[in-house]
Amino acid sequence: MRIENSDRRDGPTWHVDEDDLRAYARGELAAPALWSADAHLTACAACRGTLAGVSDTAALDAGWERLDAELDAPRPGRFERLLTWCGAGDGTARLLAATPVLRRSWFGALTAVLLVTFLVAVAAGAADRPTLFLACAPLLPLVSVALAYGPVLDPTHEMAVVSPMHGFRLLMIRTVAVLVVALGVGGLASLALPGFGPAALAWLLPGLALTTTGLALTPRLGPVAAPSVLVGAWAAVLLAADAARASTDGPLAPFTAAGQGVSGLVAVLGAGLLFLLRDRFDVSGRGVV
Amino acid sequence: MTPTVSASGLGLSYGRTRALDDVSLRLTPGVTGLLGPNGAGKTTLLRVLATAVPADRGAFTVLGHDPGTSRGRQEVRRRLGYLPQTPGFHPDFTAFEFVDYVAILKELADRRERHREVRRVLAEVDLGDVRGRRIKKLSGGMRQRVALAAALVGDPGFLVLDEPTVGLDPEQRMRFRELIAGAGEGRTVLLSTHQTEDVAMLCHRVIVMAAGTVCFDGTPAELTARAAGRVWSSTEKDPGAKAGWRTGTGSFRNVGDPPPGAEPAEPTLEDGYLLALDDAGTEVAA
Repeated sequence: MRIENSDRRDGPTWHVDEDDLRAYARGELAAPALWSADAHLTACAACRGTLAGVSDTAALDAGWERLDAELDAPRPGRFERLLTWCGAGDGTARLLAATPVLRRSWFGALTAVLLVTFLVAVAAGAADRPTLFLACAPLLPLVSVALAYGPVLDPTHEMAVVSPMHGFRLLMIRTVAVLVVALGVGGLASLALPGFGPAALAWLLPGLALTTTGLALTPRLGPVAAPSVLVGAWAAVLLAADAARASTDGPLAPFTAAGQGVSGLVAVLGAGLLFLLRDRFDVSGRGVV
Repeated sequence: MTPTVSASGLGLSYGRTRALDDVSLRLTPGVTGLLGPNGAGKTTLLRVLATAVPADRGAFTVLGHDPGTSRGRQEVRRRLGYLPQTPGFHPDFTAFEFVDYVAILKELADRRERHREVRRVLAEVDLGDVRGRRIKKLSGGMRQRVALAAALVGDPGFLVLDEPTVGLDPEQRMRFRELIAGAGEGRTVLLSTHQTEDVAMLCHRVIVMAAGTVCFDGTPAELTARAAGRVWSSTEKDPGAKAGWRTGTGSFRNVGDPPPGAEPAEPTLEDGYLLALDDAGTEVAA
């Protein structure tokens, strides 16, 4: 509502109704009256004075505090905004995107995928078999996850351990994030390899089996020794499978249907063991985890 | 007064080394100093009380909760502030981002409330003006204050500080002492330190550890009184002294059992500390 002002020649010819100013102060004035009041208040000292008089001081202070806090808040990075857009809470997005150790893990995973793909392409030219790729690719998620948690690469590990957030939850948040990248990129790289077809995806289940088993062994062996032991064990399995192979043209045992079944079973057992040991990730374990 | 922390018979071994051996203590509101030489078990005790590592033996409660259970541990951690001996930072974080990150770990879910809390604790350690500066560009003293701010998130009832003044210059150390004194108002603070000055200036109580055990538990005045009549001055270092060192005046200050006719000197907290260690069988020769 407008009130005509006939007393002043140099100022606005009208003033905002006091009820509207009260609604404006409460943030309840709707457009288009809001737009009109906004424009008018910038030019009319009298209405600004009236507004100051009708405003709730506490609400105004709270508004300034909110504004100040928003201006002060760290601006989320692109990846953090993407995670939020994908549905992650802002806290989870920050834990993931603003943790340098994870950036390094992701970067490491991508680099490893590119390297392995390159080596496979070279090897494929000579032997026309995906063996080298299948042997190396399962280690990718194992190593990536190992890099994502623990005192070795996380400078804030000690603070994280004594925080109320359960260590297993933090581990799972980071593990899932790293696995999505490692398995996703690795999977795409596999499919892009010429001539291998879906057989190139035979590394996925062994990769999951190694990852879950590696995590389950971490409370006992530590974040460095556990994946190292599994790398050795995987190499031993491959060598044994190569020695036992009847024909040089056939796939190694871990990449046959039976081998895939065993990998799947190990992955499930590893996940179960990991769940049973989840409380062991909630303390430092004498510097082991 | 109900103790904030009550521990009984705590023990922890690394292989054959007993890092903690039958440690019992009760902590009440105010600043308690924890003194001891390297390897005495101070950091191990702090890590156990901060729930970072479980003890092999014994039991303790913090604010009435038993950290031996998963639920109790969570409750303790909600009321705990911990500044580790070498606090790690993500150097590319700003001070605000780092404390915000710790606040997320402390389960402050609401973004607006969390940011308000981050601003509060940064203001409490006088870093409000540099909250947007990257940690790698802050001085050592400022970084320690960022770590203290992170420990203060959530207004903890029990604050564990592991040698927070190490590596700080005298002015920064003074500033940090003021902050610790402020933090000790209304809450229980356990302060591990090598500096007897820290204890003399801040603490209402002092615990001395040696070889994983508590060898003194009392007030700073009681620790000082332990050296009464056992400190003397001489022109040369007394070979019979437990420890002796040249002072700024050129004379020697000796602690131990004084020879007949020795010139007595006023005991200090440091003298009492050295004698407490000596009585516990720890080498203190200076």
